[in-house]
Amino acid sequence: MTRYAMVIDLNTCVGCNACMAACAMENQTPVWKNKWRTYVHDKEIGSGEDIHRRFFPRLCNHCSNPPCMSVCPTGATYQMENGIVRVDEATCMGCGACAMACPYDARFEVTYADVRQGREFFGAETYLRTRPSMDKCNFCAERVLQGKKPACVETCVGSARQFGDLDDPMDPVTRMVTSGTARPLMAHLGTKPNVYYIDDLKRRG
Amino acid sequence: MDVTTSFATQDLWTWWLAIYLYFGGLGAATLTTTFLTDMYMKPHKELVLWGAWSGILMLSIGSSMLFIHLLDHMAVIHVLNPLVLIKQPNAWIAWGTQFIVWMMVWGFLYSLPYMLESPFFNRIPFLKNILSWSLVRSIGATCGRHCRLCGWLATINGIGTVVYTGLLLQSFPAVALWHNPGVPLLFTVSAFSTAMAFLLLILNLAIKKREEDRPLRVFYERTDLMLIAAELVILFSFFFYLQRGNQSAAISAQLLWNDWGWLIGFIGFGLVVPFLLELKGVIKGWHTPVPIMLASVLVLVGGYLLRHYFMYAGVYAHPW
Repeated sequence: MTRYAMVIDLNTCVGCNACMAACAMENQTPVWKNKWRTYVHDKEIGSGEDIHRRFFPRLCNHCSNPPCMSVCPTGATYQMENGIVRVDEATCMGCGACAMACPYDARFEVTYADVRQGREFFGAETYLRTRPSMDKCNFCAERVLQGKKPACVETCVGSARQFGDLDDPMDPVTRMVTSGTARPLMAHLGTKPNVYYIDDLKRRG
Repeated sequence: MDVTTSFATQDLWTWWLAIYLYFGGLGAATLTTTFLTDMYMKPHKELVLWGAWSGILMLSIGSSMLFIHLLDHMAVIHVLNPLVLIKQPNAWIAWGTQFIVWMMVWGFLYSLPYMLESPFFNRIPFLKNILSWSLVRSIGATCGRHCRLCGWLATINGIGTVVYTGLLLQSFPAVALWHNPGVPLLFTVSAFSTAMAFLLLILNLAIKKREEDRPLRVFYERTDLMLIAAELVILFSFFFYLQRGNQSAAISAQLLWNDWGWLIGFIGFGLVVPFLLELKGVIKGWHTPVPIMLASVLVLVGGYLLRHYFMYAGVYAHPW
């Protein structure tokens, strides 16, 4: 079995936003309304002259117990055997319950207007989407099935994003997770997220 | 202070979803109350017709609010199929859709024998032709013979709809204001309270059989009084639950209890004032129905305000 996961090292993310651009091109997201499958938050932490600028990449956490999937009334949100949580555009009616249930703000609307705009923006021959839906990251499932890494991981200049298989004990991602170096977000909610973060503030003392 | 956490409210499900929850609860509770009244307290043709059709209308308005806001209207077919419950047994919208649809179906069938007798419905162009069809008369006669079955099937789906409006919000784990067992309880009590208020208005304004319906009005007033009292107790518990513990809950408490619309509009005029008006009515009585009608209107407005503020005060804690 395979259980895909991502580790994000907040110490090495430089906030270049290349991951956002790569994801937007790969997945044809509605960037014209500032909606992204992955987004890098930029925050200043500290006071006086001791200010630390923190870049925090955010995306779908591909939870093992995804609340977006359990609330989905049509079954459009589903989980593959490898743990990737996906949306079936043909079945999604776009009620938004998944967005309300997601603690990680990973869902956004793609409307019919966005589909029309997408054809102009990305080109009618290359634009793949035909219907609206509540969109989200899918760990670039097609790329992963071809043995490639997700676009955001491939393009990350600081190697802040690493992608691996939690069921492989020798995988560096598994080692960082099992050692507690990389930790999940809001684990207390019981969603069992599969995106882990290496904290940057502890190293600063 | 945790500088790594930020807090946000949502702008996806706003007033239109509050309308959906409000009319869903009010319509279902109205229909349920009238059918139970007709079956076990006093057979009442006018009340059933008013309750069933206003309930069906309210449910249609509420459901259309959700439908209008869907991204893909054609895909709604997937949730209308009852087999969706096997595929998605944890999705409350799937349950709610089935409850609403079947409650309208059984509600219509329960009221059909009364409709066939009603001079009003038999005067409406086009409808009067349909009501004269032998098939419709035959269905009406069958429903009349099995009215308890139709009534209970409508009631079960009605109670399901009422509870569903709270369970829907409860299923979102990230928001402490919503993700607790008090929400379905609060929404259920509120839905039946608004239904009592609505039926009091119907009895006072539309049906007007004053003496004959007096015991029914007194029963609805007393029940509404108890439901408002229960609602106040639940809100009191919510106030203390939100104050301590989860930070998301504490911010929701600040949003709610620092808002005049919630404090004065909902708790003051939507609960306390009608409670006092109905309490005086129950203890000493009123010489005129106006205070009870005023209380009913206030309860109905308060019922919407509850859902409106609940939608806007849900707070997400984000670790970025």
